[in-house]
Amino acid sequence: MTFPTLRHVAFAGLLLFSAAPALAAEIEIPIHHTEVADIGVTPKVGDTLTFVNHADIAHNLYLTFEDGTVQTLDTQPPGTTKRTTLAREGHVIVRCWIHPIIRMEFDVSDK
Amino acid sequence: MIGRRLLTLWAASVTLAAYAATAGLGGATPDVAVERPLSSADLAALKQKFRRPAATPFPKGNPFTEEKAALGKSLFFDPRLSRSGSVSCATCHNPSLGWSDGLGKAVGFEMKPLARRTPPVRNLAWGAAFQWDGRADTLEMQARMPITAPDEMNMTMDLVVERLKAAPGYGPMFQRAFGGDDPISARTITAALATFQRTLVSREAPFDRWIAGDETAIGPDARRGFELFNGKARCAACHSSWRFTDDSFHDIGLTATADLGRGKFAPPSVVAMRNAFKTPSLRDLRMQGPYGHDGQLKDLGAVIEHYAKGGEKRESLSFEMKPVELSDRERRELVAFLDSIRAEPAAVELPQLP
Repeated sequence: MTFPTLRHVAFAGLLLFSAAPALAAEIEIPIHHTEVADIGVTPKVGDTLTFVNHADIAHNLYLTFEDGTVQTLDTQPPGTTKRTTLAREGHVIVRCWIHPIIRMEFDVSDK
Repeated sequence: MIGRRLLTLWAASVTLAAYAATAGLGGATPDVAVERPLSSADLAALKQKFRRPAATPFPKGNPFTEEKAALGKSLFFDPRLSRSGSVSCATCHNPSLGWSDGLGKAVGFEMKPLARRTPPVRNLAWGAAFQWDGRADTLEMQARMPITAPDEMNMTMDLVVERLKAAPGYGPMFQRAFGGDDPISARTITAALATFQRTLVSREAPFDRWIAGDETAIGPDARRGFELFNGKARCAACHSSWRFTDDSFHDIGLTATADLGRGKFAPPSVVAMRNAFKTPSLRDLRMQGPYGHDGQLKDLGAVIEHYAKGGEKRESLSFEMKPVELSDRERRELVAFLDSIRAEPAAVELPQLP
């Protein structure tokens, strides 16, 4: 039996981090009444946003991406979540069809 | 071997992360309003949500000046802004009728009835969306819409500019308000109109004095009505803040017509916006009605009955519309509360048009 040397371990680590995809993050964003919390970080393409409706009213969020693409999430009753995976980089504006007072903005990095 | 272990650990961490994310999905706890008598601390906290703001906001791009507001007032009352030369903004937004017209449906160009009721124009400085369907993001954008709508004032902004340039007296007013060599333009007209509209703010109502600490300002019926409004009847789910609206859009289950409201502008997949119209402010309500975006509800009794029944059931019906049993006494208390958020109207001095 051959025990791995430090060089083997380093090589294995290199293989692991070059072969494995970058871990996508799941970012939870609470909604209280008509306030969507700031995202707090710069998400990456491939990360998933989870909007959690803690309000006692329904929401219907939509995301407008820098290229003009609009992604509408379905109506979100109280106590439910809606998820979306970020497919492109750039500036994003989150608004609500029901409550135009809602507005949250963030940037998505490419990696 | 160690490499395989590392891979196994990586896979496990991914699995755990996915599990943690999934586990979090069902964990939302709604901030549900509790139906119980309010403690004095709860009532005090609730009252703060309805406290009047100290000052009127004006946007950086169109700040307040006395000259601009005075010009906007003249324009608001000037029928030359309509093609017929006989209809001003104030024809429908009549200050003697609470800045509306008292009609179920507005009357448009050539006296043809329009699809919707004329909304009052008070307290719009705090607005987040304008028009019954919210298609204007700012008051400046909104100001142009009725002027240029073919079925309303039926003008072009170019023709408005031409008429105002031809009217002796407007040139100096625009000059004082905006400066420059050629200050009469579509932009300055709508900026002045928006500035004037932002000055139309409800005066202090008995409810405001109660919120400020005068316990005798409103009676016991109105106080119970306030608690019902925020509790059992859930009116404040949408009629929130000191204006008693959050500018939200809902299908409240009135008899549907061809007018889709905000649904005309939202993607078809956004079902909730079909038949959805803006939540109106309840301040300074004309107690004799009519109500609803198209005047379907003739009086306050009909409004309360509509909400008690919960509206017509359909796919787009707002999530907030839920039937509620209200006794005759509770209905009277709600009406007493609505009466307490009415102020004596401000005296309006009509402008002498240039």
